[in-house]
Amino acid sequence: MLELLAPAGNLEMVKAAVDSGANAIYVGARGWSRRRDAYELSDEQLHDAIGIAHAGGVKLRVAVNTNMQSCELPTLLQKMEKFVAWGADGAIMTDVGAIAQVHRRFPHLVLHASIGANIVNNQDVAFYRSIGVSQVVADTKLTLRELASRQAGLDVGIEILIHANNCYTYLGKCWMSPYHRLERTTDDFGKDLFRGSPNRGGLDYRVCLEDWELYDGSALLEPHIALKNDAFFYLDDIPALIDLGVHCLKIQGREYPVPLVASIVRFYRELIDAYQAKPAEEAFDLAPWRLRLEAIRAERDSRRSNMTLVLLNEARQPVPHRA
Amino acid sequence: MGAFELNTTLSNLRDLRQSDLSAYDAVYLGNIYCRLFEDNFLERMDHLKEGIARVKEQGLRAYVTSYAAPRNDALPKVQIALETAAAAGADGVEVHNLGVLRMVHEQFPAMPSHVGGFANVYTDAGAQVLKEYGAVRFTPNYEISLEEVEGIARGAGIPAELQVHGKMPLGVSDYCFLLEYEQHWPEKCPVLCQKQLFLKQGDWAMRSVGKGVLSGRDLCMLEHLPTLVEAGHRIFRIEAAYETPAYRGQIGQVYRDALERVLGGDATVDERAWALIGEHTAVGLCNGFYFGRTGSEYVGKRVEAAAAC
Repeated sequence: MLELLAPAGNLEMVKAAVDSGANAIYVGARGWSRRRDAYELSDEQLHDAIGIAHAGGVKLRVAVNTNMQSCELPTLLQKMEKFVAWGADGAIMTDVGAIAQVHRRFPHLVLHASIGANIVNNQDVAFYRSIGVSQVVADTKLTLRELASRQAGLDVGIEILIHANNCYTYLGKCWMSPYHRLERTTDDFGKDLFRGSPNRGGLDYRVCLEDWELYDGSALLEPHIALKNDAFFYLDDIPALIDLGVHCLKIQGREYPVPLVASIVRFYRELIDAYQAKPAEEAFDLAPWRLRLEAIRAERDSRRSNMTLVLLNEARQPVPHRA
Repeated sequence: MGAFELNTTLSNLRDLRQSDLSAYDAVYLGNIYCRLFEDNFLERMDHLKEGIARVKEQGLRAYVTSYAAPRNDALPKVQIALETAAAAGADGVEVHNLGVLRMVHEQFPAMPSHVGGFANVYTDAGAQVLKEYGAVRFTPNYEISLEEVEGIARGAGIPAELQVHGKMPLGVSDYCFLLEYEQHWPEKCPVLCQKQLFLKQGDWAMRSVGKGVLSGRDLCMLEHLPTLVEAGHRIFRIEAAYETPAYRGQIGQVYRDALERVLGGDATVDERAWALIGEHTAVGLCNGFYFGRTGSEYVGKRVEAAAAC
C-alpha cells in the first residue's frame, strides 16, 4: 500500500496529521534530528505522539538523523530502547555507524536512510541495505528513470519527497551554513547542539539564499547571483509515482504552522485517493488540483520567505563563545 | 610511508606537467566535482594512465580519486576509472560515495580505499563500518573537530588524513550555476570554473567552482602542526585541485619544511612562510571546524597575520 508520510513538529501537528489522512508520521527526537529543537519532541511528548498516532491507526517514525558525535552513540541506543519499547514503528537515520549499531540491537526495527544520507545511486542503496536499512529517502534530484531502475533492481522501499526543498547542493553534503556561523550549546538534557549545522541537528541559516555577488578576483562579474534553493510541491509526477509503485510519499515541513501542514496532508490524501479510485482507462485531470495547490503554495512561500530573512539575520549575529 | 605523508590534488595532466611536486609524497589524481572539468583525469583514461606513470616516476604514490556524488549514469565511467587505476598500478583510490566504496571492495579487494571528506565520517562506529568495507584511512567530514577526529581514529583503528591547507570543500551540487551566466563572459565551460571566482556578500566569501563550493578563506594549519603531530596525525593534504601550479609547489614546500622541523623537535615557523602564504591567499585564512568553532574563523597566535593575508 502506498503510504503518505507526514511531518510533525509538535503534538498538535501529530493530531492534525492523523486527522488529515496521513498513513504515517515522523517526529524528531529533541536534539537528534535535522531541525532546530523548537520543532522536535521531548521523550515524554514522543511517547504521547506514538499513542496519538497508533490510536488513529497511523505509524510513527522517530527521526534520529543527526550526524552525531561518537561519544553520543551510547545515549542514542538508550533512547532507542525507550522508543522501541513504546512502540515506535521505525527510525530515520543518517550515520552509518549509528545505523549499524541500532540494527544490531533492534534487528526487527524498520530503519530508514534519511535524506541526509544522500543516497544518489543504486550501489549506494545496496550499501545501506547491507547495513540494515530497508527504506531509503530518495534524493531530490532523482529522475523518474532512475527511480524505475531502483524499483526494479533493489529489494528496498523508496520514499519520495513530494514537499521539500531542492537545495543548490546535495543535502547532507553541504556545510556552507556552519562555515559562516556555528554556535555550540548544550540543551537541558545535556545534548550538544550545533546551531548552524543542519547535518549535526542544528538549524540551517540558508546562507545559500543570500543575494550573492560574483567576483573574478577583485572584479565584479555579476551583481546578483541566486543559488537555486526551491521549495517544491510534486503534482504532475504524482500519478507516475503511484503507477511506478513507490512505497511512500513524504511531506517535509515540521517548521510550518499546524494548519498549513494539515492542509498539505489533506491535499495529498485526497489527490492520492482520487487517482487510485478512478478507472484505469480514464484520464486524470490535474487542473483542479493545480488550482487548489496554488493557494497552499502561496501561504508556504510567504512563511518560508519570512523564515529565511530571520535565519539570514541570525547568521550575522556574533557567536558567544563557550568557556 | 616515511615519517609523514604530505599529499595534494591535481585535476588534469596539464596541471601535473606544470607542477613541481618535489614537496610531496603522494598525489590524488582527478576532479571530484565535475565530469566536464577540462580533461578531468576521471574522464580521460589515457591521461589517467600517463598521470599515474608520471607520478610514480617521480617516486611518489599515485592515488586516484572518484566523484563526490556520482549518479547512476556516472557509475560506468567510475568503473572504467577504477579498472584503469588498478591496471596502471595506482597505490589507492579515494572514495566519497559509499556505493563506490562497495564497488571497490567487491571488485578490487587489493586496492586500498581512502575514504574522502564527502563520505561523511562523523563517528568511530561509522569509520569502523567503512573499515570493514576495505577503508584503510579516512578524511573526516570537514565539520568535525580535531578532538572528534582523534576519537574516531583511535576507535576505528585507522588513520585520519587531514587537510592542512587550501580551500575547504563546503558543498557539492549536480548543477553548475555558472552555465546560466557564461554567455555574458569571454570564458566558457570547461575553463570557466578555473578562474578565481568568489561569491561575496558583505564580509562573507566563498569560492565557487560551479558544481562545488569551497571556503573563501584558505584553511591554514601551519602554526598548529605541532598539535597535529603530537596527536599522532601523520597524513596531511594540501587541497589544490583549483589552484595554480605555483600555489601547489610553494605551499607544499612551506608545509614540508615545517613538518620536518616539527618532527625534529623544532616548532618554530619560518616567518617567510607567512609572506608566501599571504601571496597565495585571496580573502584570508581560517581553521575550518578543527577547533569546534565557526568554519571561517582563525584561531591561534597568527590571527592578525591571517586577517592581513
